[in-house]
Amino acid sequence: MAAVAEARPQTRRFRDLLEDRRFLAPALITPAALFIVLLVGAPLVLAVYLSMTDATAGQLTGKFIWFHNFTEAWHNDNFRRALRNTIVFTLASQAIVLVGAGILAHALVRPFRGRWFLRLLILLPWAAPVAVSTIGFLWIFDSQFSVVNWTLVHDLMPGGGHFYLYRPVNWVLGGIDHLPWVHVGKIDHLNPPQWLGQPTLAMLAIIFVQAWRILPFATVIFIAGLSSIPTEVHDAAKVDGATGLRKFWHVTLPLQLPIATVALLFGIVFTATDMTVVYILTSGGPFNSTHMLTTWAYQTGIVSNNLGEGAAISLYLLPVLLVVSVLMLLFARRVEVS
Amino acid sequence: MAENDDELEELGISTSLTRRQLVRRGLGGFLIAYAGALPKVAAAGVPKYVHKHYKNTLKIIQWSHFVPAYDVWFDKTYTKNWGAKHDTDVQVDHIALAQLPARAQAEVAAQSGHDIFGHLSPQAGLEDQVINHKEIIQEVTRKVGKVSQVGFKSCYNPKTRKWHGFPENYVPDPIHFRKDLWNQVGIKPSTWDDVRRAAPKLKALGHPVGLGMSNELDSNMLLIALMQCYGAFIQNAQARPTINSKNTIEALKVMRDIYKRGMTNEVFAWTAASNNQGYLSGRLALAVNAISIIRSAEDANPALAKNTSVAPIPRGAVQRLGLEHVMGVYTIWKFSKQKALATRFIADLEIHYQGAFKNSKFYNFPAFRGAVHNYATQLAADPHKGKYKVLDLIARKYTANLGYPGFSNAAIDEIFNTWLVPQMFAQVAQGKMTPAEGAKAAENEFKPIFAKWRARGKI
Amino acid sequence: MWSTLRERGVSYLIVGPFAIVLAFPFYWMLVTAFKTNGDLYNLNNVPFTYHPSQAAVGEKLSFQHDHWLPFGFENATTSHISFIFSDTNYLRWVENTAVVGGLVVVITLLLAVPAGYSLARLSGRWGQSVGVGIFLTYLVPPTLLFLPLSRVISKLGLQDRLWSLVLVYPSFTIPFATWLLMGFFRTIPAELEDAALIDGCSRLKALARVILPISIPGILTVVIFSFSLSVNEFVYAITFISGTKQHTISAGVPTDLIRGDVYFWQSLMAATLIPSILLALLYNSFLNRFIAGFTGGAFR
Repeated sequence: MAAVAEARPQTRRFRDLLEDRRFLAPALITPAALFIVLLVGAPLVLAVYLSMTDATAGQLTGKFIWFHNFTEAWHNDNFRRALRNTIVFTLASQAIVLVGAGILAHALVRPFRGRWFLRLLILLPWAAPVAVSTIGFLWIFDSQFSVVNWTLVHDLMPGGGHFYLYRPVNWVLGGIDHLPWVHVGKIDHLNPPQWLGQPTLAMLAIIFVQAWRILPFATVIFIAGLSSIPTEVHDAAKVDGATGLRKFWHVTLPLQLPIATVALLFGIVFTATDMTVVYILTSGGPFNSTHMLTTWAYQTGIVSNNLGEGAAISLYLLPVLLVVSVLMLLFARRVEVS
Repeated sequence: MAENDDELEELGISTSLTRRQLVRRGLGGFLIAYAGALPKVAAAGVPKYVHKHYKNTLKIIQWSHFVPAYDVWFDKTYTKNWGAKHDTDVQVDHIALAQLPARAQAEVAAQSGHDIFGHLSPQAGLEDQVINHKEIIQEVTRKVGKVSQVGFKSCYNPKTRKWHGFPENYVPDPIHFRKDLWNQVGIKPSTWDDVRRAAPKLKALGHPVGLGMSNELDSNMLLIALMQCYGAFIQNAQARPTINSKNTIEALKVMRDIYKRGMTNEVFAWTAASNNQGYLSGRLALAVNAISIIRSAEDANPALAKNTSVAPIPRGAVQRLGLEHVMGVYTIWKFSKQKALATRFIADLEIHYQGAFKNSKFYNFPAFRGAVHNYATQLAADPHKGKYKVLDLIARKYTANLGYPGFSNAAIDEIFNTWLVPQMFAQVAQGKMTPAEGAKAAENEFKPIFAKWRARGKI
Repeated sequence: MWSTLRERGVSYLIVGPFAIVLAFPFYWMLVTAFKTNGDLYNLNNVPFTYHPSQAAVGEKLSFQHDHWLPFGFENATTSHISFIFSDTNYLRWVENTAVVGGLVVVITLLLAVPAGYSLARLSGRWGQSVGVGIFLTYLVPPTLLFLPLSRVISKLGLQDRLWSLVLVYPSFTIPFATWLLMGFFRTIPAELEDAALIDGCSRLKALARVILPISIPGILTVVIFSFSLSVNEFVYAITFISGTKQHTISAGVPTDLIRGDVYFWQSLMAATLIPSILLALLYNSFLNRFIAGFTGGAFR
């Protein structure tokens, strides 16, 4: 009897512990945190160490040279261009994704005939493993066999009539040329555009491919967000007389903002730290004009055997992303609270 | 039907199998079938115990040869036979050309990996991580004679007196040209001046020459070879950068001229496959490439192959001198536990190079000339009417190493790997710089690279 | 009725163009996969239909006599598609990719669900900071991380084995999953749990019995994302594993279907299409579930 009485307080104490927030909270986080610290934190520390040495060719040690690599990197034109490109690439592709996914998600929440099939088509770019789908784009943008160029330049009307796609496109481009700061030129049907061979076009191609593959991902997040708005909110809005655009602006958008911010943030981070699309499409060419920090770091650190310098270059991203992330997280929290 | 499906699903009612359910069940079944394989597949590593009766294991990694039959011969016949004779299980892995550097560095970082690493260019930068391959060189020299100049200057570092790799093979780099088209314009591409004259005429015919100026292997080799023909070099024999010279400017002018009058801006966007594909489509009249083009044509377009001639690189103002297209270099890591066995393997491969020479369809020429006999007879016996005889001439007389007249060193490596020469040519050809400016800019880029590696004691 | 018709029209008008732009490359891949070499490399041919050409070595024109086929399909060949099954370890790669993806999803869920719950409900102030901290690990690009990680992998004896990927991939799926789940858990009103707690459940039981069923949509989202992140990964797959039988799709396809300067385009297209369609079908069926799931559950 006494023994049982002894046992019960102990188990109750343990169960109380499990109930105690102060124990439970860290206990639940620890496995995940530990995993990340070991697999990301430790190599990160090593990378920081490497960036301050003159390590070459895969060896993980070197002579300490402090911040020499960082200043060395900064003085290289290619580096500054890579930094600029990274910012342009990230912002442009994510802007397209944000707007596109927002519109698309709204259109997809309501059921309509054929929705399942259209959704399937929309999911394809994201379902495809990026390395192989980008190789597919290599062929689509090929310097000689590009299907885009073929479609622009050849007569698309079967049978007797003639329809050349480059003519209306040139009409639009001509219109754009009238704007003050923009100069785009026209498509020469005898020498169609080199999508991967001219610096500006190559940037556009890369931005397009990245937006193309991230759009479904963002759409799914937005759909999830839209679906998570409880029906009571919809009902309440209806009661209050808010419909259509007013409802969107005052009800849907604010509720979606936290998840949209998260989607945007992840999109930005994934894009800025990803090298696959650029590496496969242009490897940084033509003339190193489409290098991002990630590919430039790879080129310097791995291909040219200057490991320390490569590590330094890839670490340049860190403060930039840090600032961006913190700002967006603060914004998301404020929106949520309100 | 779709709308009904949605409504039915939302209400949780469905008496018949909707299309969605069918798909879901199908996928579910598929996944369950595979789930059974989960533990087995995840646990499968390199099969360690398959050939348990062999005492040793030797691991090799090299690129996927463009002649798939070579890989089949190497993986399934040659290494298996050699392994049986030496009580060794030889495992060969392949990797894409572009991933070689990453994989090499990963193995160094991990201090474990393959015993023999097959690169496609001399890896002076990895010098500290590999053994001194002197023994293999000596062994092979004893059996078949001296290594060729190309091999010697690619893999030896005179500063540290170390063989930082074993030159196994190199691939001569001829030009391919369309006999019929060049006959039409009445010119033969025997000098670069001929090419210069013919370029606009061929372009007018709709069949331009195909000389790339983009960040890829073919452009890199072609342009450095072009420079050599005009007596322009990246470095001299003492490993000092000499890029800024009259001859470089001359070479730049030639290329700019050819581009302006004979090509379009597609050549700045080319990949290594572009000149192949352009030539195979029948469009290009000239390409500088290893024999992968004509071998592909023999398979896919025999008429085109018949009209194609293979010849040495055109002569420049100073000389006729090309580069190897790629050089097969084997290295053994310092951390390898099978150094003796690896040494034996490489030596045997080179000594009996006949098999590799033949099975690569004459793509691989041994770096030790004496390893193969009767080049002329063999090449002439190729069923395609002796077209390949000229390869021997090219391999013997017109192929220099990367970094000629000096040795291939880490600085040359870096310049090569970061496409600095194609960049220089491209910017001059596009009119962004004058030839003099281009050469000067290149010098400004090359000097710090040489200084850096000199400071590290590698040059 | 008029308004639903108009609504539907608007839906088509919006979704249609997106679907075309997003799916067109795949249509293109499908067409290309059946082309013969002679047809593919001929600049004069219409890329969307098939044209007669000399069959290259190894190409079989199996439809040669079926002149009733549209688009000139009698000139197409399936040899390049069958090539990936007969001459490469493609099926093994698909298997490997699926297995790695599945295991990574399981590990991610096991670690991220508790972490997300903790950050959403239990942590208060410092939870935010830890959450931010976890997120910050994303800022490190894998382009150089793979080198020190190679050392870790080899020390653990996992080099060239799929377990190396299973170990490393959760390092980038867990932060995202934790964040997502944190967000989802937060949108669930605390009253639900409190009701369960009042009824005598422990916290953990409340988590399992009450929260998880409602969060199925969130969990499914995490499953889809983790799986897709793992399938897409390229750098680690190439550098940690070198044996062709152990490759994933991302590693195997560039290695075996691109040989030096020869790209096997038709095979590459087919190799891309197969997993894309399968995965798109998979994801699509999951999407349905969690959209439908939200109209039921706690909110009715």
